[in-house]
Amino acid sequence: MDYRRDIPLAITFIVGVIAVLDYYTTLESVTATFTVIKNWGVVLQAFALGLGAVNLFRVHGKRVSERTREDWMFSGWLLLMLVLFVVVGLITGQYDASTSYQWIYNALYLPLGATMYSSLAFYMAYGAYKVLRARNFEAALLFITAVLVIIGNTPIFPATYPGFFHMREWIFGPIVSGAYRGIRIGVGIGAVILGIRTLVGLETGYLGRR
Amino acid sequence: MVSMDPQVWIAAFLTLAATSYAFRDNKVFKFAETTFIGIAAGHQIVMGIKNIRDYGWSHLMQGEIIYIVVFLLGIMLYARYSKEYYWLYRYPIAFLVGNGVGISIRAGIHSDFTLQIAETASPLIASDALGSINNIITFIGVITALSHFIFTYEGMHEGTLGWGPKIGRWMILLALGASFGNTVMTRFGMYQGRVIFLLREWLQIIA
Amino acid sequence: MSIWERLMSIPREVVMGLVFIAILIPALNPLGLPLMTGKMSEDWYNTVDNLPAGSIVLFDIGYGSGGYPSLGPGNIAAFHQMFEKDLRIVIMATALEGGMMYPLIMASVKPESNYGAVYGEDYVFLGYIAGTQTAMAGVLGDLHALASTDYQGTPLSSLPLAAEVSRADDFDIVAYMTTAGGTAEGWVYQAYSQYDRPVLGGCLSMMTTSIKPYYDSGQMLGLMDGIKGAADLEFLTGHAGDAIVSSDILSFTQTLVLIFIVLGNVAFWMQRGGAR
Repeated sequence: MDYRRDIPLAITFIVGVIAVLDYYTTLESVTATFTVIKNWGVVLQAFALGLGAVNLFRVHGKRVSERTREDWMFSGWLLLMLVLFVVVGLITGQYDASTSYQWIYNALYLPLGATMYSSLAFYMAYGAYKVLRARNFEAALLFITAVLVIIGNTPIFPATYPGFFHMREWIFGPIVSGAYRGIRIGVGIGAVILGIRTLVGLETGYLGRR
Repeated sequence: MVSMDPQVWIAAFLTLAATSYAFRDNKVFKFAETTFIGIAAGHQIVMGIKNIRDYGWSHLMQGEIIYIVVFLLGIMLYARYSKEYYWLYRYPIAFLVGNGVGISIRAGIHSDFTLQIAETASPLIASDALGSINNIITFIGVITALSHFIFTYEGMHEGTLGWGPKIGRWMILLALGASFGNTVMTRFGMYQGRVIFLLREWLQIIA
Repeated sequence: MSIWERLMSIPREVVMGLVFIAILIPALNPLGLPLMTGKMSEDWYNTVDNLPAGSIVLFDIGYGSGGYPSLGPGNIAAFHQMFEKDLRIVIMATALEGGMMYPLIMASVKPESNYGAVYGEDYVFLGYIAGTQTAMAGVLGDLHALASTDYQGTPLSSLPLAAEVSRADDFDIVAYMTTAGGTAEGWVYQAYSQYDRPVLGGCLSMMTTSIKPYYDSGQMLGLMDGIKGAADLEFLTGHAGDAIVSSDILSFTQTLVLIFIVLGNVAFWMQRGGAR
């Protein structure tokens, strides 16, 4: 037995089977064991949250120490902000409930988080202008529903003629429901099969390098 | 009257800095980007430590000595960065994967498979003509969209049988167009919040 | 360069600049257009409206700063309705930033001053719990085996509402708002499939198409569809906020996008016709 590979695979199998048994049975012993597993899982996931930060320190710490890259100061700034948030978060003992942490979150994280994702709106507009073309029959199908849904979503058009809104609702009815239900069934089957393969040890990518 | 609150000014500057990327890549955006990455990672650490305290350390302090195993497993996660002891990382990750897979697949069969098929198998004829037409379109959409993804049978995409996957492809394209339409609204819906902030809280020119 | 080629190659800066102006104009001069509410949002509203006073809601704040502009207004409207109906809310967060969204939401809802709600009796916030579906399964399976304090460290045993709930059966309904597909599916799996709890969901508009099968099959009783759904909820609950304000902005920006799409296609086909 290879303790570096077989034991982790066995852990995956046992933990996964207990989780599945908890769903399909009402055995008190299974429920109690799975409750412990769930609670352990929350703590382990919390430990895993630090992995990203460790990697950032490795990559950007190297850039700061070597100072060969032109943008090494940005790496220093990144690490400084990371440390700032951690210090402010931990120093009061109240973590995210402290007013000082909420202050720096609202000043720094909230505007950046909100803007980073939303500035894609500009690219969306430019991309739609450049790429959304009814070049052939199939592209025209995508084009038609995209335009009809955009019209239905734009309040000024339904306000002028309510039929645009009903058209949009109808597209989201049989058209979207039909196709996406088919996709959802396919995705569901795929996810279950991949899950079973993972539990029985046929998928081992998560173990990482040899 | 422009806001005098430093928090609002910092937020406004960072909003404009992040927006500047829409026009072209520049150093101000790079500054905003690196700030974001750093604080996101910092926030993750803060929340991670808080969760370890609330859901791990608290149990240990209540006398559940077994939680020492959880802490050991958690520390072993960081063996990922060691060449020699990398294999230690596999134990906690195996636990997490087994837990995650087991929790999701057990209900996936019911929610994504059984109930979706049951809904599709419901009567096609409704009380009104439009309802019946909608049910028929939905039924055709489900069956043909599913058939589009069958690649294990060679003849599936050829000849008369090939019409099923072809129609499925068309249905999927129609649905993807609807999805694109909604995506446009999502992005503009997100950015409008920033504009309202700039005009209301920073420049204070709207109520 | 022909006129059609020029129309197909408007510089990026011009397009984006016009988009920015299209956002500014309605923000400065609102149109106040009427709203047509969608069935999914109406179902959300009616489901909460039909809950008897004192019912306990498990609410997940599953979004952060990225989703706040779209889902925040809907969350605020939803909480207004729940407090008006004297529902009791156990709030948790499966998103890392959910704990930071909570004070922002509550600063708008003001449950104590607007509704006489008391923290610990009418609502409780558990804070962020790591693990997404593991957290969901943990809270619904046995809350007190998982958590012993709320997000400020107050023992749950000293909070009457938290002391009253321990398992899925103690919750009358589960509601969430999220930007993560895994969270949206996860609540259907864990709350509906495992424990047969009614589920209400809110997600970004671009996620609606993939989450809608759960609504169609009855696994979700209502679905708040992004900023549009948030505006619907604000309208239905009578608490107008940023989502309704955004309707005017959407009118301008999406009309501009349509103009560019039509322009690009007309130029494309005219140029193609000319080339032949």
